Parts: sequence; structure tokens; C-alpha cells
Amino acid sequence: MEATTYNYKVVRQFAIMTVVWGIVGMLVGVILAAQLIWPDLTFGIEWLSYGRLRPLHTNAVIFAFGGSAMFAVSYYIVQRTCQVRLWAEKLAAFTFWGWTLVIVLAAITLPLGMTSSKEYAELEWPIDILITVVWVSYALVFFGTIVKRKTKHIYVSNWFFGAYILVIALLHLVNSAELPVSMTKSYSAYAGVQDAMVQWWYGHNAVGFFLTTAFLGMMYYFIPKQAGRPIYSYRLSVVHFWSLNFIYMWAGPHHLQYTALPDWAQSLGMVFSLMLLAPSWGGMMNGIMTLSGAWHKLRTDPILKFMVTALSFYGMSTFEGPMMSIKTVNALSHYTEWTVGHVHSGALGWVAMITIGSMYYLIPRLFGRESMYSTKLIEWHFWLSTIGVVLYIASMWIAGVAQGLMWRAANADGTLTYSFAQVLNTMYPFYGIRLLGGALFFSGMLMMAWNVWQTTRQGRVVNDAPIPQAVHA
Amino acid sequence: MDSGTLSGIVTVIFIVVFIGIVWWAYSKGNKQRFEDAGKLPFDDETPPKQGDKQ
Repeated sequence: MEATTYNYKVVRQFAIMTVVWGIVGMLVGVILAAQLIWPDLTFGIEWLSYGRLRPLHTNAVIFAFGGSAMFAVSYYIVQRTCQVRLWAEKLAAFTFWGWTLVIVLAAITLPLGMTSSKEYAELEWPIDILITVVWVSYALVFFGTIVKRKTKHIYVSNWFFGAYILVIALLHLVNSAELPVSMTKSYSAYAGVQDAMVQWWYGHNAVGFFLTTAFLGMMYYFIPKQAGRPIYSYRLSVVHFWSLNFIYMWAGPHHLQYTALPDWAQSLGMVFSLMLLAPSWGGMMNGIMTLSGAWHKLRTDPILKFMVTALSFYGMSTFEGPMMSIKTVNALSHYTEWTVGHVHSGALGWVAMITIGSMYYLIPRLFGRESMYSTKLIEWHFWLSTIGVVLYIASMWIAGVAQGLMWRAANADGTLTYSFAQVLNTMYPFYGIRLLGGALFFSGMLMMAWNVWQTTRQGRVVNDAPIPQAVHA
Repeated sequence: MDSGTLSGIVTVIFIVVFIGIVWWAYSKGNKQRFEDAGKLPFDDETPPKQGDKQ
């Protein structure tokens, strides 16, 4: 018999874990920010040292928080826009438990110092294999659902999710090629500058396809839903999709400016990064213009505020990124706090805020309620997050530019004007402001947890959201 | 063929592909199709009784 309801169970599991992992990952971030001011904060315990917690933070916020959010929304959107129940539901359930196991293993192995030392791909080979199995299952469930859809068209969000799933599979397989020497240690299959290039082809596309393409899919569904009107230009979203995919793939070398990478490859990375500005801003405008005629909703709807502010940060960081890839700018910005600020303007401003907004839309619907327990708390969360991000990135801009200028300052006889310790000393006030910004953002997440708890407590689990039977396809 | 010629050819191919995509997205024949696709997130709301549960 054909299913008449959607599978919300797996969506609900991932949605709740999004909030949980968001809190865990951001808490580790706040601890790291404090460690940069007070290096002895964790009493010299090696498992809690900066070098071990840092990959835990990045993995937790990207793959645990961001990843769970993507599983939740992609499973929700693909069902609702294809008007069918998920294909291979047992496999979908496996993706939840499998992905959660990956996260738990990461939380154990990284503090123990087991690492392949590849940025954003630190997990050792047995976990890499588990990731591959989970990801292939995810691809099967997602594309299987697309195949059995009852609608004629495939909504643009699903195109973005499809690209994200395929590219992440490709990146993971190529970058994780490694030679195991024991259960907990392996070495990369590549060496020298090739290894660096493969790593940053992976690293930048993790940003491009995990943190951008996937979350654009989220944006293309939840902004129209929350604003109550279709996307401003569907045709622009088609051009956005294809041009973003074509260009993003080649921007990775900008992480290796002025290194041993051949000069032509560095320039190529810079040119492709500059070209990225066009599709990025096209997509941003498309999202923001969806609100034309409904601007008044921004005044009263904090969920929409989250989404539109997310798009503004998306526009800002996708302008900043290409600028920073220009070789002469990069000569100043590289290895400084400016990069850290840029990353967080994208990660907190864009990824986290669009996710938070979407979760506030999604979670009540998964628990049979019309809206979250408290709209006032969402409003508070919005302002805490916004002020937090602004403090974070503004302090890192100033710190980064000061750092870059001090590092390059030279006396008439060619010696360096400032010692490393002097530069570090200058950073302290900015590290303090950054900690404050991060703590504000984190406290907003705690409010979200309370709000979600109250919403789920007073709601009831929805397992019978009906699939519309009158399909005009 | 030197690398300059090769990158020239690749550039031309990419431009042609891009123009092709824009032409495909904005051609008159596809107008209705894309408008329909754009309404997909709202198709699940009709009829209103079957919308999101209260």
C-alpha cells in the first residue's frame, strides 16, 4: 500500500540533535576563545589543550551541528516538495545512528590526539570508512526519494542538496585516501605540495558545498515558506545553481597563496574566487527580493529576521572572501585573525543563522504546533546572535589587520620592527571582545534549547502529516 | 598545443556553456515550467485542510 504520510521521525531526530550539537560545538569554541587569553585555563590537561580542542570545535560545528541540520532539512524538504514518503526508511534511520556514531567517535578520538592532521578531515581512517558508508546511504535515500516523486519538477532546493551530496562524497573519497599503519594512525596518500593542494581543494569545497550549497538549498525553501511567497526569481536560482557549481570547484588554491604551489595555480584560484562574487550575490539578491512587498513582516517576525540577516552575512562574507583571495590583499590577511573573522562571519552569520531560523520554522511543525513556545525568546535570540557576530568579526578585523601590518613592519636595516610576542600582546583586548561576542552567541543557543524543550514538551510528536493526494502533476 | 591555447579553448567552452544555461533558464518555452517549479513549496498547502497540523 502506498504511504499517505511523511516520515517525520528521522527529521525530528536530526532537528533536535542540531540544537544539541550546536550548543556543544559552540561551547568548545567559547572555551578555545578563553584559552587564547588564559592559556592555563584547562590546567594543562593534554586532552583539553588548544591543539586538541580546536579540531573538536570545527568538526562539531561543521559536521555535527551543520551536518545534522542538513540531514533534517533535506529529508523534510525532499519529502514535501516531491510529495512522497522517504525511500528506504530503514536506511534513513541508519544515517541518523551512523552519523551520530561518527560524531561521538570524533568527540573521543580528537581529544585523545588521534588525528590525520588534515584540516576539517582530521578523523582517522576507520571513522573515514564509517562516514563513507553513512554518506552513500544518505545519497541512496535522497536520490531514491527524488526518483519516486509524484511532482513533475524537482524543486531547486533539491538540486542544491543533490550537488552537495555528490560533491562531498567525491571530496571525502579523494582527500581521505590514506595509508593506515595502525588502527589509529594513517598517512596521506599524497605528499608535499600535491597533498596541500588536495587538502585545500577539499577544504575550500567543504566550505563551498557543505556550508554554502547545502544551506542555500535550505534558504530556497524556508525563506519562501516563512515569507509566504515563492522565490523572487526561480530562473535566477537555476543560473545561480549551475554557475556556483562550475566555479566553486576551482577556488581552493587561494588558501595557498605565496606557498610552494605553482604560481599559475595560485592565480587561477584567485580568478575563480573573484568570479564567485557573481553567483553568490545573485543568490543573495534572489533571497532578499523574495521579501519585496512583504517587508513589513520583518518588523514582527524574528524568524524572518534570522533568515534575512543570514543572507546579509552571506553577501558580506562572499564579498570579503574574493577580496581576501586577491594576492596582494592575501599577503596582508593570510595567517592573521582576519581569516578567523571571515570564517565566523560566514559560519555564525550565514550558516548558523539560516539554520536557527529554519529550525524555528521546522521544529514546531514536527511537534504538532503552529509556532515555537515563545516568540519573544526568538527575538532575544536574534539580537544576542546579531550583536555577538558583529562583536566577533569587528574585533577580528581590527586584530587581523593590526597583526598583518605589525608582522610586515621592518626597520631601515631590514630587521623586523616587532617581535612575535609584542604582536601577541596587542591582540589581548581583541581576544577579549571576541570572547564576549562568542559568549553572547552561545547564550542565544541556550535560549533556543529552552524554547525547543518547552515546544516539544507541550506539543505532540507528529507522525501523520498527510501527503496531499490531489497532485496536479 | 601550449597551455595558453588550451586555457583559451577552455575559457571559450565555459563561456558558451554559461550562455547556454542562461538562455535555457530564461527562454520563453521554459517560462511556465520554472514558474510551476517555483510554486512547489506551496503545493503541499492545498487544499487548506491538509496543511500543517494545528
